[in-house]
Amino acid sequence: MGRLFNQMTRGKKKLFAVSALMVMGCLLLLPIFLSITAVAGGGGAPAGGPPPEVVAAQKAEGEEGEAEKVEMGRDVYYKTEGPAIGMPAPVTEDNETFYPRYNFESRVLLWVANQQHLYYGSFVLAVPIFCMCIEFAGMVSKDKAMAKKYDQLAYDFIKISLTAYSLTAILGGILIFTFLTLYPAFFGYLSSIFRPVMHIYALTFVAESATLYIYYYGWDKMREGVLKWVHLSMSVILNVIGTVLMFLANSWIAFMMSPAGVDEQGRYLGNIWHVLHTALWNPLNVHRILGNMAFGGGVVAAYAAYRFLSSKTDEERAHYDWMGYIAMSLGVAFLIPLPFAGYWLMREVYAYRQQMGITLMGGLLAWLFIIQATMIGILFLTTNYYLWQALGRMTGGERFQKYIKYLVFILVVGLLVFITPHTIVMTPAELKAMGGQQHPVLGNYGVMSAKNGGINAIIMTTVLSFIWYQRGNRVPTVSWAKFGNIFMGCFFLIGQLNNIWLACYGYFIPANVRIGLSVPQVAGTLSCLLLMTPLNLAMLKNGRQLGPIRWGQIPPRSQYAIIMLATAFTWMMGLMGYIRSSVRLFWHVNEVMRDNSPWAYTHTIGFAANVISFNVLFFWISIMFVFWLGTLGAKKVPVPSPAGQPVPSPQSATGH
Amino acid sequence: MTWLKLVEGYMPMQMITELAICILVFSIINYSLKRAGMGLPKFWAGIFVWCFVNLFYLKYRIYPPIPFSVRAIYGTVAACGIFMWVSGSQQEWEEFKRPIINVLDAKTGMTKFIRTALLVLLPIGLWGFAYNSFLPSFDEPIELRTVHPAPPATTKVHGKTYVLQTAANPYRINPEGKYDQAYSNAHIVSQDMGRLMKDVNNPEDNPWDPNAEGYIKHVREGGEIFFQNCHFCHGDNLNGRGLWAFAFNPIPANFTDAGTIAQLQETFVFWRVAKGGIGLPGEGFPWASVMPPWEQHLTVDEIWKVIMFEYWHTGYYPRTWE
Repeated sequence: MGRLFNQMTRGKKKLFAVSALMVMGCLLLLPIFLSITAVAGGGGAPAGGPPPEVVAAQKAEGEEGEAEKVEMGRDVYYKTEGPAIGMPAPVTEDNETFYPRYNFESRVLLWVANQQHLYYGSFVLAVPIFCMCIEFAGMVSKDKAMAKKYDQLAYDFIKISLTAYSLTAILGGILIFTFLTLYPAFFGYLSSIFRPVMHIYALTFVAESATLYIYYYGWDKMREGVLKWVHLSMSVILNVIGTVLMFLANSWIAFMMSPAGVDEQGRYLGNIWHVLHTALWNPLNVHRILGNMAFGGGVVAAYAAYRFLSSKTDEERAHYDWMGYIAMSLGVAFLIPLPFAGYWLMREVYAYRQQMGITLMGGLLAWLFIIQATMIGILFLTTNYYLWQALGRMTGGERFQKYIKYLVFILVVGLLVFITPHTIVMTPAELKAMGGQQHPVLGNYGVMSAKNGGINAIIMTTVLSFIWYQRGNRVPTVSWAKFGNIFMGCFFLIGQLNNIWLACYGYFIPANVRIGLSVPQVAGTLSCLLLMTPLNLAMLKNGRQLGPIRWGQIPPRSQYAIIMLATAFTWMMGLMGYIRSSVRLFWHVNEVMRDNSPWAYTHTIGFAANVISFNVLFFWISIMFVFWLGTLGAKKVPVPSPAGQPVPSPQSATGH
Repeated sequence: MTWLKLVEGYMPMQMITELAICILVFSIINYSLKRAGMGLPKFWAGIFVWCFVNLFYLKYRIYPPIPFSVRAIYGTVAACGIFMWVSGSQQEWEEFKRPIINVLDAKTGMTKFIRTALLVLLPIGLWGFAYNSFLPSFDEPIELRTVHPAPPATTKVHGKTYVLQTAANPYRINPEGKYDQAYSNAHIVSQDMGRLMKDVNNPEDNPWDPNAEGYIKHVREGGEIFFQNCHFCHGDNLNGRGLWAFAFNPIPANFTDAGTIAQLQETFVFWRVAKGGIGLPGEGFPWASVMPPWEQHLTVDEIWKVIMFEYWHTGYYPRTWE
């Protein structure tokens, strides 16, 4: 009877806990619902315009036949008519009123503040997504030991993210102060347009913080049964809020690049959805989600590599080797579709404004894209290198290592084609010797058709390396293994041949058809990834194991490769952020609000590269501090329990 | 290596294929030598491959000479690739490092000698490098030229405003007189190196046919304008090597290259022809173009026709977004 009573009490407690969490979840999601309602309703208070009571009064007056007093404006993007209820974009001048300044370039100060906030923001938005995936993997794992390892890993991840979260908020504050003090006219205009959105953003940030803290501090309380599922659901809520947060922030930069919802003078036309849903908003959203994930994976992997290299014991090395592997795999999983998302973004940029697209990829900023291509190449080459090194910690991995040289050749040739510049840097004497601006042989590598071939060859080879890695210590034993191997070999071969053929064929067809060729090229690459990886796993199911994975027994070179990967991610993010922002040239808001500050010019490539490098260095120094803080908690020595008292059960998470 | 020709139209793939064959031959020879117990040590194999690709193949095989900046990029990537190859597995890495470690350890007379020689030669080499870099240079400075600056949204020619994203060549028409890019695409010359007309007996393909009408007739008219005005610089084969070409630096655009008009919308070419070098926007730094603003010499119709001739003759299609 007593046991039944206890069970009932426990059941009630669980029910209460679940109900409480649901209520809390609903409260936390309230800002999002509010935002959706606001957006659907065209945005409560008209941005930059008169308060609602004035609008209501105007409406009433309109009913009385004086509606003609409200001036109408035409949306610069949607081409719809609407009441011009906002103030026009300020016409600024180069003076202290519009551009207060220190004895330093204000733009660079803003650039650094913005970039640092973005780095940390990306990191803290990406890590909870990893935690969600890893926690879920642990929950569905049948192997108890593995489940515990996954759970601990997810906890380690969120622990790193928590300190970074505070820094993100601090940097956000610094960014706003920088805007307010150095660009008051521009920020005033932007906030007048986005007034309701900015409030929703702030509320969403509160919701994000609250959810994150509950998720982190509730880890141990919610580690069993239904409560664990509730805990996992919290991570889903956390990520939904985080994503909404990012979308809202993206809408501001998308508006600056491709404004909508305002007329030619920049007057708000009363439809907040138009202001949010600009031409580049969705491509930016997709690109940033993937980019954040790849970046977050890289940073966590770098953390693991740093811990691996400083480990004193084999156990520690094994743990951080495994952690680095998981983080890197997650990062790379999102890196693979990233070029395709980037391609979509560029396509939309061209569709929005041809000049913008040409400035980016064919004109002023084209050389920065060559640097970007080099960074992408480094990312893929490093990933391959890490996987080859990782083969060494598996018995049987040496079967594949002898073929590495062939993969190296494909990767190097693919990269050389991918990074060959269209506009070559050369001395006038070299130009004369070459007989023109384009080289007759290499000039062909400088155009998109060849470059698509190059990058697809690299990605396909990366997929092959991953498949080899999966097979490292296992041999398929299914009856159709031979057929499967031949099929896979042919699939990859045909995929590569198809890719090369389309890259060559692209020179003989009109440009609009050539752009379409990227679809079969990408389809070939994705088929290799999405069909061959599961096929390989199916073949390896119940396969013969040649030996265990010797976690921790991997050369330090692999860990330096991970650190390089993470640094390349960081550098590339900084570079692409600069490119995206500087494509507006001398506009604060493209074609609506002109930048009349003394810094409305495009920096030289060298100067931009130096600032990007400074940002990268600053980020890594500060994140090292965050990592160090993470180790402080872990070093806590457990207090020995006094004799005769029961020892508490081990906690899954440490360093609270 | 002029005895082995780089075949026009196939050069990019030819270069990659040749490199692949060279590497394969090297691998086979090295493998056979290894079987015979005389294989090249990894260290020397790596150095040999790098030197072959960068100091021999790219420098002497590819013609015209590749600018140093590109060779530097290729050399760096090749070095990275070779590092990945020689350190792909721990065993290979150990093998690669062995000669370096041996020299540093200097346990034999020979390695001692090499170490001492390196200790002397390296600083001298560095000194020479530093000395050279401090020497004054009288070469013209490198200019990173923006070959295709972004065009304006609109351009005004002979009093009429053209929206570059939507304007179309009025002479690119089918026999029914309607704008038809597919029709004109089907009647350009063959794109292979000979650039031959598709069918000289067909008036729709041959601009010199007395019965030629519509699109192909306008191509002929464009050709006449080209040879009266443009070919002195851009060349009678449109390859940028006209009679006066080498008086300019840089030489005029080579329309037969896949990186020029083949990459551009027809309206972009219209804007560039009409406004010339003087009309280049700020982005077109260092504005190194002496092309005259042809709107001062040609009518709008003549500009459209000459552009159509350029696409027809080179066998390229103007870029479209739809």
